[in-house]
Amino acid sequence: MAASLCHFPPAVSSSSSLFVGSKSRSLLLAVSPFKHFPAKPSLSPSRPWTRSYAVSNDAAAAAAAFSVASPSDPRESPSLGEITRPDFPILHQAVNGFNLVYFDNAATSQKPSAVIKALSEYYELYNSNVHRGVHYLSAKATDAYEEARNKVANFVNAADRREIIFTRNATEAINLVAYSWGVFNLRPGDEIVLTIAEHHSSIVPWQIVAKKTGAVLKYVELTKEVPDLDQFKGLLSKNTKLVVAHHVSNVLGSVLPIDEIVDWSHKVGAKVLVDACQSVPHMVVDVQKLNVDFLVASSHKMCGPTGAGFLYGKINLLSSMPPFLGGGEMITDVFQDYSTYAEPPSRFEAGTPAIAEAIGLGAAIDYLSSIGMEKIHNYEKELSEYLYYQLSSVPNIHIYGPAPSNTVRRAALCSFNVDNIHPTDIATFLDEQHGVAVRSGHHCAQPLHRALGVNASARASLYFYNTKEEVDTFIRALKDTIEFFTTTA
Amino acid sequence: MAASCIFSSSARRLVASPKLLPNRSAFPSNASSFLCLSRSLLFSSPISFQSLPRSSPIALRAQQQRQQDQELESVDASLLPPKLRDIIALFQSVPEPKAKYQQLLHYGARLPPLDPAFKTDAHRVRGCVSQVWVRAFSDPDDPTAVRFEADSDSALTKGLAALLVFGLSGSPATVIARVPPDFVQLLGLRQSLTPSRNNGFLNMLKLMQQKAVQLYIESAQTGDSKPVESKTASTTNKEEKNSILGGEAEEVPGESASQVNGNSNLADKDETSERDDLGGRRKRIIERLQQGLSPSELEVEDVSYLHAGHAGVRGSTDGETHFNVRVISKEFEGKSLVKRHRLIYDLLQEELQSGLHALSIDAKTPSEAHSG
Repeated sequence: MAASLCHFPPAVSSSSSLFVGSKSRSLLLAVSPFKHFPAKPSLSPSRPWTRSYAVSNDAAAAAAAFSVASPSDPRESPSLGEITRPDFPILHQAVNGFNLVYFDNAATSQKPSAVIKALSEYYELYNSNVHRGVHYLSAKATDAYEEARNKVANFVNAADRREIIFTRNATEAINLVAYSWGVFNLRPGDEIVLTIAEHHSSIVPWQIVAKKTGAVLKYVELTKEVPDLDQFKGLLSKNTKLVVAHHVSNVLGSVLPIDEIVDWSHKVGAKVLVDACQSVPHMVVDVQKLNVDFLVASSHKMCGPTGAGFLYGKINLLSSMPPFLGGGEMITDVFQDYSTYAEPPSRFEAGTPAIAEAIGLGAAIDYLSSIGMEKIHNYEKELSEYLYYQLSSVPNIHIYGPAPSNTVRRAALCSFNVDNIHPTDIATFLDEQHGVAVRSGHHCAQPLHRALGVNASARASLYFYNTKEEVDTFIRALKDTIEFFTTTA
Repeated sequence: MAASCIFSSSARRLVASPKLLPNRSAFPSNASSFLCLSRSLLFSSPISFQSLPRSSPIALRAQQQRQQDQELESVDASLLPPKLRDIIALFQSVPEPKAKYQQLLHYGARLPPLDPAFKTDAHRVRGCVSQVWVRAFSDPDDPTAVRFEADSDSALTKGLAALLVFGLSGSPATVIARVPPDFVQLLGLRQSLTPSRNNGFLNMLKLMQQKAVQLYIESAQTGDSKPVESKTASTTNKEEKNSILGGEAEEVPGESASQVNGNSNLADKDETSERDDLGGRRKRIIERLQQGLSPSELEVEDVSYLHAGHAGVRGSTDGETHFNVRVISKEFEGKSLVKRHRLIYDLLQEELQSGLHALSIDAKTPSEAHSG
């Protein structure tokens, strides 16, 4: 299957991205036994791998100009991870006596000072309820809140700012679609197609709604540890009313071709809801290009505060949907025995929203945009391949999901198991004895783990502020951990 | 007791060398020397205990440990069974977390495997990230004592389960029920364990206490003229339970009653379905063991009368619940004690499921028997 990459907006193709591309290939050749890439003359001869990531815009430019030296090579400019790390105060601490290596970004990301500052500034300077008052502070708060909505709309390239609804998180956004669109539109015998690799938040609301409406859930199984797209096409029928799919899997690291999935689904008259929690923070996501009907994401996975998330929905869809939660803000007129409702987005934002958090999300988007999502994406591609191949070198390990290649993209995360050692033991020891934070368990994907034939797995997930040195530390720590359990037990 | 022996030998294996500290500045070279050193530590012979340099993070941890110890002197040591106190002392003498882990793993390795028949939801401990099963039964040699068995798929959790099994087995239910949960802080493992794992530990303890109390209640009931179903026993005897646990008792799940003596099929079967050929069981045991082991010597003795009237025997009015088995067979060569017992239990599966409660086994190879 052709795993299509995320869609880059028609951007200026700088020479820098080509430069980076070739560097990463030579890097790959040096570190892995895989011969997928044509041999290219290494741009820095006789180096095991090159850490350089010289790009000419924004934050990186200044540092690159100074040629900030790294311990191993004074000529190389620092990686994106090295450049951005100082922005994240939480990363600079010792845990259990060791430097923290935070590899649990798929669970939640860390926040830069700019976002933390935006939150405290809101409360210090202009906290006030939004949409209600006429006084100065409330006007300022309202402006900032609505400005955050604009930022989100621009970030995902929504056609209309009214297509962004702020929720508490992606889970609530999915429940909104389930209880509002789902309950209203699904009839007995209607089919909802999901993949077996979906997060519980994408599955459970639909189980509840299916019970209410008589609709039926159908699952796309795995083939070679990725969702089987041929099977998916086979499952689509005139009964399919909704397709629920992840963009990037939080366990497998695989990327689904959303544009193709939307095409196939629309042909049979089904709507598509995309869980973009693991894609929006890491790459450019263009909802118009993908042509999705609904898309959800969380603020806290993209450097924003917890307590905020959003639903994108096509405006004509949202306009036809009944309210989800009732209360203040989402009404026009309220009488004793009935009320009239507001237009979207207000219709779906009942009560006082998480104002500070939405503004914080806006600040996070500003921060990410100042780096550039393309740059983040490219850096994480390097990290992803490095992590995967380094992990592959550990004996008796099994990494779930596809191997990265020219045609197959992987997110910068790996879920894995080591023969005869429980992932919880690994995660505990990595934390206690090495300060490395990974996750162990089923990662909110029990059906997926059953399909893979395991109870639990360990998962290391990276973000743009992680570095290859941290990956090295992690691999050393993992080997030490495995040694401990195989010799002591 | 075996735990103390391990205590003395392993305490000497602790080494605190400055080289164990991670170098905070650079990654590669120092870390690898740390690794080499730690590897050699695992295989090294007993080394003397060194005092720690003040500035190390390990010293800081030891200091925190001492603080915690002082805070927790309020834990009443008299409430803890002696075996548990030994184990606690062992862990307190090992300040370094990695060595504590090693100790934990050793305990886990010593835990005998749990019969897969007991790996059911009724035995499962809730609140654990890994799978943990716990089983309680009365000691065949001492009706007031409770014995435990446990297992887990995670090595560290198995170690924790082993601590509880070794620490609590052999104590009466009244003592077990009074063990305060916060003794776990005395182990000094708490700071080395994630909160969810800690919860698992506490839940394990609670489940074991519940099962112990259940056994106690049922043994108290055997004074009654007719056998009472354990399910109703749990509800009507809540007051008794409350008095034991000091009012903190939780609802004992109905199915736990069926695990009395660990025979999970017992409550499912109707009491009338037991075989009524008197003396037949002993014959059948002899038959099966002769078929399976071709022993050179075999003695099977019915000692059910010694256990008449205690928990689990209710309803088996014709005895034939407890046997002493002494067998010498070449089949045992090269097998550990656990494997030998497993072999015998496997041969007597049918008996175990139809009213046989416990076996006291003496299993030797011919060479062992003649030299012993």
